[in-house]
Amino acid sequence: MRAVPPVTARQLGLRLRPRLRRRELGLLVLISAVLLVGRASLASTLAGHLTLGDARLLGVYLASILGVHVAFVLAGRRTDEVLLPTVGLLGGISLLFMERLPQDLVMQQYAGQTFGLAPLQLGWLLLSLLVMGGLGIVVRSDNWLRLYKYTWAAVAIALLLAVFVFGRNVNGAQLDLCVGPVCGQTSELVKVILVVFLAGYLADNRELLAGATTAVGPFQLPPVPYLVPMAIMLGIALSVVSFQHDLGSALLYYLVFLFLLYIATARLSYVFLGLVLFLAGSAVLYELYPVVRLRVDVWLNPWADPQGAGFQTLRALYALGSGGILGTGLGAGLPAVGSAPAIPVIESDFVFAAIAEELGLVGALAVLACYVVIAERGLRIAATAQDDFRALLAAGLTLVVVVQAAIIAGGNIKLVPLTGITLPFVSYGGSSLVANALVIGLLLALSDRGVEPPRPPSPRPRAFRWAGAGRP
Amino acid sequence: MKLSIGGIWRRPATGGVANPGRPASSSANLVAPRIGNSVWRVTVSIGLVYVMIAGTLTYWQVVRADALTLDPGNPIVIAAQEAILPGRILDARGTVLAKSVRLADGSVLREYLHDPSLGPLLGYRSSRFGTAGIEAAENAILTGLTAQSESDLLLRKLHFQLYQPQDVILGIDMRLQQDAERLMGDRRGAVVAMDPATGRILALVSTPGFDPNLIANPETAAAAFQGLTSDAASPLLDRATQGLYVPGSVFKLVTSIAGLGSGTITARTVYPDQPAEEKTGFLVDGYRVVDGHHPFTGNVALDYTQALEVSCNIYFAHVGLAVGGASMAQWAARLGFGAPLPFVVPTAASQITSGGGPLGGFKDLVELANAAYGQAEVLVTPLQMALVASTIANGGVLMQPQLVIATRDLDGTLRPTPPVQWRSVIDPATASTIANAMEQAVSGAWGIPFAGLGKVPGVPTAGKTGTAQLGGAGEPHSWFVGFAPVHGAKIAVAVLLERAGSGATEAAPLASNLMADYLALPPLSVP
Repeated sequence: MRAVPPVTARQLGLRLRPRLRRRELGLLVLISAVLLVGRASLASTLAGHLTLGDARLLGVYLASILGVHVAFVLAGRRTDEVLLPTVGLLGGISLLFMERLPQDLVMQQYAGQTFGLAPLQLGWLLLSLLVMGGLGIVVRSDNWLRLYKYTWAAVAIALLLAVFVFGRNVNGAQLDLCVGPVCGQTSELVKVILVVFLAGYLADNRELLAGATTAVGPFQLPPVPYLVPMAIMLGIALSVVSFQHDLGSALLYYLVFLFLLYIATARLSYVFLGLVLFLAGSAVLYELYPVVRLRVDVWLNPWADPQGAGFQTLRALYALGSGGILGTGLGAGLPAVGSAPAIPVIESDFVFAAIAEELGLVGALAVLACYVVIAERGLRIAATAQDDFRALLAAGLTLVVVVQAAIIAGGNIKLVPLTGITLPFVSYGGSSLVANALVIGLLLALSDRGVEPPRPPSPRPRAFRWAGAGRP
Repeated sequence: MKLSIGGIWRRPATGGVANPGRPASSSANLVAPRIGNSVWRVTVSIGLVYVMIAGTLTYWQVVRADALTLDPGNPIVIAAQEAILPGRILDARGTVLAKSVRLADGSVLREYLHDPSLGPLLGYRSSRFGTAGIEAAENAILTGLTAQSESDLLLRKLHFQLYQPQDVILGIDMRLQQDAERLMGDRRGAVVAMDPATGRILALVSTPGFDPNLIANPETAAAAFQGLTSDAASPLLDRATQGLYVPGSVFKLVTSIAGLGSGTITARTVYPDQPAEEKTGFLVDGYRVVDGHHPFTGNVALDYTQALEVSCNIYFAHVGLAVGGASMAQWAARLGFGAPLPFVVPTAASQITSGGGPLGGFKDLVELANAAYGQAEVLVTPLQMALVASTIANGGVLMQPQLVIATRDLDGTLRPTPPVQWRSVIDPATASTIANAMEQAVSGAWGIPFAGLGKVPGVPTAGKTGTAQLGGAGEPHSWFVGFAPVHGAKIAVAVLLERAGSGATEAAPLASNLMADYLALPPLSVP
């Protein structure tokens, strides 16, 4: 057995080669100003006079983003300069809303102290910044993702199955896996791993998938044998999350898969086939699960049962109506019924409706615009990537964020049936924040075109290959 | 598809060969397309998805915003019922018709002027049965849940005051309203009085009415509501705006507007066969249109004015056939037929035919001939007939009927609602021709037996009676539609008495009294 050599900072890529990031700095100043105005607006509405209120949480948050920016500057990599401010704005809006909502919606005890919604969310946001910043600085090679796609697939399935066995039941859906005191929603992590697997598999097989056909009689079908491994992986993931009633994740996985398959092959026939299968699968789920039937029925007509099944959808629509074009203003909307907010799970699944009420159409469109910016930046990184794997990985990572945002925003506004899934970077919740930070961190790393080209697999495994160490 | 937008979206470097992460494959003959192109298409489709989300969001937050904000299930509305004291409803002279008071236990009670004619007019506001009538239609203003403009809304936000209840001021003159109610007595029906020049509604009565206090008061609400809904006389129905009635001869005014307006006839048009047809009936496709006035007119071939004076069915059947079904339908539509009226409370759509037939909706010439004098499938609301009278009175210009003439903020700022011209239906000369004929109808030698009781003593009066045959046994509906004075009319009325008998003996004298009383009132200073 070979001894593992000590790792130096140099090997991790932590060489100080400062390089200014003016664009990022400018945007960060802009979002800081926006968030401070938001903070003042919220505090003034609550107090009834002009004040900034208690801006400590926001201060810590903004300082941390600036810290990440400084770290990027010192590391000197040529990574994307728009993603951090965009995600930072979404996270800041999240923090404002978590401060604005009743703090007892989520309470957790750590070290004898009880924390409410906003401090907890701040903690998760800081962890996310750490993950994002860390990946954006350290990751220099993608071999650790590229070469072990089946290992990653196995990890994903193991995670999903572990939830199955050890999971905790939340709202009728078995979603959480607890390790000690920390519980997490594994489907969030699995979506990232799934993208890694799909990118690896499609990069290896795209020529065959795009060009070859299987002849069945007179019909020219796609090359079935090459689809099988991917279909098995996807099938397992979909069945597990569907069985756990995590319909939002199932939808997300499937849509991202279809997008990636199209990007890899440019064959529309796959998309049509995929949509046909999707409809068939939906029909089966509709018959099999009362919860699916309920969601679809509510989507078609929430007014049929306003106090029961249609309740939360209607409440979300009322929030949109109250918001109007300019919104009620931070702190002035979201009527409480009794002591609880009018919309159930407003801190997570329905945070978009809350934003649309208090910030109005203008604010909601601004939030949507942030995701469009993420889509544009991410897909630009994909289009300029050096090779197929990186292109597919960057596209998949981007899509996983923007498609998820579209699914839940669309569900909030009754454009599509509602599925319980988080709004990336805005909803309350550690798993979602950290998983999406992972995505942005990897995207940042992939955006640096100066990194070393991927090398063919080495016969001898080396330690810290993922860090790009051991360059001769 | 070749896309060449932006250099970065084309990736000359990759194409299935530059894939250094894997060894050269055996599938060298298969070349995958460039990833950049499909990434570009995916980018566009993601953009489209977000455009759809933005569009849906805009729909809810702009188009449907007010409707959602006022939905009775909305927690804001529910909370507002506890928190807000809704504004008052006043008549044109400032008489308080409805106001809200907070009781000792914190609940809000709506109090109305005790008058049964207010029920159909105002509706009600009840914690148990919700809102109806003007209370429902103007709920947004009364409770201050929605602003009248975005700038208003912004101002409110800056003042940390989201709800601004406002008073609603009606054009109703309560003296006239109560007069009409008194004149109706126990008879079922409706009275609409309006100012032809502005379209403002002066009185809107539907009988039997009800006292809205009974529904607003939680102690009497359940029993009162039960009683009102099970009452065979349907007091909850506002007959003036929602009731659909066969008009009989008052509809000849619509046929007049179509005939003269389209130029099909003039004031001097005669139908030479008409005197003979009076005796045998006017044969239309095997159906005989008959009349009852030939003892007066004998062998005279009537011109338009004379025909309206004696209310000649046969003459107007000729006019209707000459105008044609499609044209009749168009002229009626210009007066508001065929769709709910632009009015603050919901109205029923008046019709000249049930539709579906080949002649502009009429199924045959018999239906068209009968419709031309107000029978067949013609159904009208009293409000619609008041609009017809107003159009003629106002020189052919139809004003939008207006019930709310102003709103008033808590700080006293008055926001008047200006009169709105709806359509110019006929030219002033044509309107004058019809008005003269209507004056003949109440004052001419031949007309007096039909509509003479509709004359306002000492004032030139224009009018038309209607006696709507309903088939089967029972009395016909009694109608009168008219205005006074003939020139520069101050008031136009439509009076309907359900199954009360002939228009000449029942509706006409009521209308005469009402118009006379109104013209005798000291004029008001309307905002």
